[in-house]
Amino acid sequence: MQCCWQTFINVLPIWMRQEVDRLGKDQMQELRLRVDQPPELVFQNESKWLERFVSQSDIDFCINMASKYSPWTSDGIQKGYITISGGHRIGLCGLCITEGGSIKNYRAVTSVCIRVARQISNISKRLYNLKDSVLIIGPPGVGKTTLMRDLIHQTSIHCYSHIVVVDERGELFPSTQARFVFERGATTDILCGCSKASGIEIALRTMNPQIIAVDEVTSPEDTAAVINAAWCGVRLFATAHAMDRQDLFKRRQYKKLLEEKIFTTLITLHSDKTWQEDRLF
Amino acid sequence: MSIKLIGAVFIVAGCILSGSAFSFTYKKEEKLLYDLAHALDYMSCDLEYRMSPLSDLCKKTSQQCDGVICDVFANLSAELEQQIAPDAKRCMDAVLDKTHNIPSSCKTILQELGVSLGQFGIDGQLRGLENVRNICNMKALSFTQNKDSKIRTYQTLGICGGAAITILLI
Repeated sequence: MQCCWQTFINVLPIWMRQEVDRLGKDQMQELRLRVDQPPELVFQNESKWLERFVSQSDIDFCINMASKYSPWTSDGIQKGYITISGGHRIGLCGLCITEGGSIKNYRAVTSVCIRVARQISNISKRLYNLKDSVLIIGPPGVGKTTLMRDLIHQTSIHCYSHIVVVDERGELFPSTQARFVFERGATTDILCGCSKASGIEIALRTMNPQIIAVDEVTSPEDTAAVINAAWCGVRLFATAHAMDRQDLFKRRQYKKLLEEKIFTTLITLHSDKTWQEDRLF
Repeated sequence: MSIKLIGAVFIVAGCILSGSAFSFTYKKEEKLLYDLAHALDYMSCDLEYRMSPLSDLCKKTSQQCDGVICDVFANLSAELEQQIAPDAKRCMDAVLDKTHNIPSSCKTILQELGVSLGQFGIDGQLRGLENVRNICNMKALSFTQNKDSKIRTYQTLGICGGAAITILLI
């Protein structure tokens, strides 16, 4: 298991670092900080709490560290998160400033949820042998991104397929100073920081991929771009938010994807971190 | 008599050297201000084009400069990388405390720079840099305008002071 733990620790207020390092280094999935509440360390089946309470300046410190004192680098803030260099994602809650109906910034952030990004090798097992497009679904926090990361890595090292990863939030293959934190294989190219729709278009036009991988297909623009890529003869690896097969078919945003039969293999992740493989059609 | 003469020559020479040292310091301060203005210029351009994070930006800026300004930005980059201080201003304060040989005029501008760093989005940051750069340019310009008269004053003071002390002592 690979994890850029130090970058995670460096984001935390100094008084918290040692304790979180001691308690959460191996198994912690999330750290939740709320103003005037003690920090919550979330593990798979339990939560642990530290004694000291979190202050507003602790949260501000976290955000300053996450953006490396450079607010202009946190372009995800309009979508409510910041991704830090080890691929860990910080979700934000608080008092928003909106413009035209969408978030422009936060006047005050009162809660943060920091999710630990880890690379776990060989969990995708024989999935790399599949010859069609793969859709990974599951409830939040069960490891869709982790499975996807391993699937890309394994496909690259075993099949030598040219894979372009359109990593909008820099979560799949985060980099620090232009070096990737997780193993990606010799045939994987990463396009990071642009929207999925434009990233897929760039990949199709310029990189001649055999497989395009995207994390969390949600918006209609993403769906249209994925369909377009499939029509161009490219295989797709994608993740989507749905509890199970029935739930997936109920969700309106995926209707077009399913109608077009873009994905034929469905991987459903369960809350106990196990997964099952099905044929979609 | 010859001992007195040698002493007088030493005193006059010492005073002239002191005057020259003052004028040299003045010229050095002027050069530092221009170097700093150049560094700020580079920061604005890089930020506008690449939007580099602050620590990378400072590192790159240090590579564009030399001397004390290079040290300041290299140390600031290291301080930001450590992720201990809660904001960029305190990182700059720590760097200024650690770095010696910074003339007071440059120090004030660097403090201003520290206040402006990492506070707002890209537009706010660029405006902040622009303000600091204007202050720096104005100060450098006033140094240049007064350079001749200041240097002459220091040198004259050195010679006259040396002569006066010699007369008094003899």
